[in-house]
Parts: sequence; C-alpha cells; structure tokens
Amino acid sequence: MAAHEDRSIRVRDVMSKQVFTVSPSDTAQSVARLMEEAGVGALPVEAPGVGTILGIVTDRDILTSVVAQGLSTSTAVFEFMTVSAESCEEDDSILLAAQKMHDYKIRRLVVVDEKKRAAGIVSLSDITRASPELGGLVLGGISRQASQSPPLEGVS
Amino acid sequence: MPTLTQDRLWSEAVILEAPSRVLRVQSTRDAFLCLKNHWPLAEGEAKSEALAVCDRVIEGADEPDAARAAFIKAAEEAQFRVNSWTGS
Repeated sequence: MAAHEDRSIRVRDVMSKQVFTVSPSDTAQSVARLMEEAGVGALPVEAPGVGTILGIVTDRDILTSVVAQGLSTSTAVFEFMTVSAESCEEDDSILLAAQKMHDYKIRRLVVVDEKKRAAGIVSLSDITRASPELGGLVLGGISRQASQSPPLEGVS
Repeated sequence: MPTLTQDRLWSEAVILEAPSRVLRVQSTRDAFLCLKNHWPLAEGEAKSEALAVCDRVIEGADEPDAARAAFIKAAEEAQFRVNSWTGS
C-alpha cells in the first residue's frame, strides 16, 4: 500500500473501540482475569472517577515485573504499569501511529479523546490488517531495535 | 452478561483462601469474573445470587457493597476462608 494511502487511513478506522480499563489499585491477578475474559494483552490504566489515562499495563508486565520477580499476585498495578504510555488520537493517520510504535518499540497505543480518556486501543496487528506493508516495516524495525536494546514496555 | 468495560470498586478488598490458592478481590467486575471463570463450585444458590447482584451493580442499579456482601456469602458457600476487615 502506498504511503499516501496510509496517511488517509485514520486510527479510528482500524482501532478496537471496546475499551476495558483498570485502576492503579487493581492487582496483577485481577488484571490477568480481565485480560483472559476480554481476550486482550494490554489494558489502559485510568484514574478512577476521572477517566484520565495514566498509563498502560500489559501481560508481559505481569510476567516480567511480578511473576519473574517473585512478587505477590496481589501487587497493585501502579507498581508495575508503564506510566504515561505513548498515545495517539482517533484522527491521527495510521502512518503516524506506526511511526510512534517504531520509535518507541511498542506494539500498542492507547487512543485518547480530547479529554485524555480512552477511546480505544490500536495495535500493530490492526495496522498490519489495513496496510501489510506498513505493518511489516514497523515489525522489522522493532525486531532490529529489540536485538540491540531492551524494550521500553511490554511488546507481547 | 454485564458490560464489563465498567467496574465498581469496593471500599475494602476481600481475600479468599483455599489450599494452594489465594484470591484477592476488590471490585465488582473482578468478583463477577472470579465467580464466572475461577470458582470451585459449578452451581450454588449463593453463587447464582452473587452473579445476579454483581450484574445489577455493574449496570448501576445497586451499590458496590451489595456485590461485596453477596460475594462473601458465595465464598463461604464454596468453603473459602474469607478474610476482610469489615466482614459482610
């Protein structure tokens, strides 16, 4: 797919709109139960009662920061979440979202609205479905960078 | 099935202990998921009631403490040892 077509496809066209969010005081085990039920590997963390997105937590975070460290599964999300995770907006092009994924070596972005509330999640596989060429470029870039340095956040 | 994109937090967590398992639950959505997917009893009167109460609470038709109280009763039915500061 040509780059100008990638610029015309908006994030809102490809993102998952059903957003399950968790609170910073939720535990690793409750997040894992929600991930299982929702069939997702990443959940935005929001401020309870406010809705502002504070960060993101991934299944990889649970494995590497809780299980592998020997911490209790009651460990609270705020202790292992990625704070201020990279985000994008619904009107952004998938090209811009892909560029962020490439630059930050991540495979998911929280999509926020004008009030910084979660509007959805866009994953590299969402982008790949819309533009296999663009998705392949990002994946290739992430893989090359991953072999040189550790990722900034869960990339599962 | 309630809308699980929403949750209602409890004022105090409930900790359920069984041989080789500890479940820590502090919200209505998580209680619903425990009852639905991780419960030792396939059927039970208190379990059914707790699922119904969680459903109502998540939809905003009842208070979170109602779900917490129903969840504790279901846990006792399932022979969990229940630990909570405030009880049911």
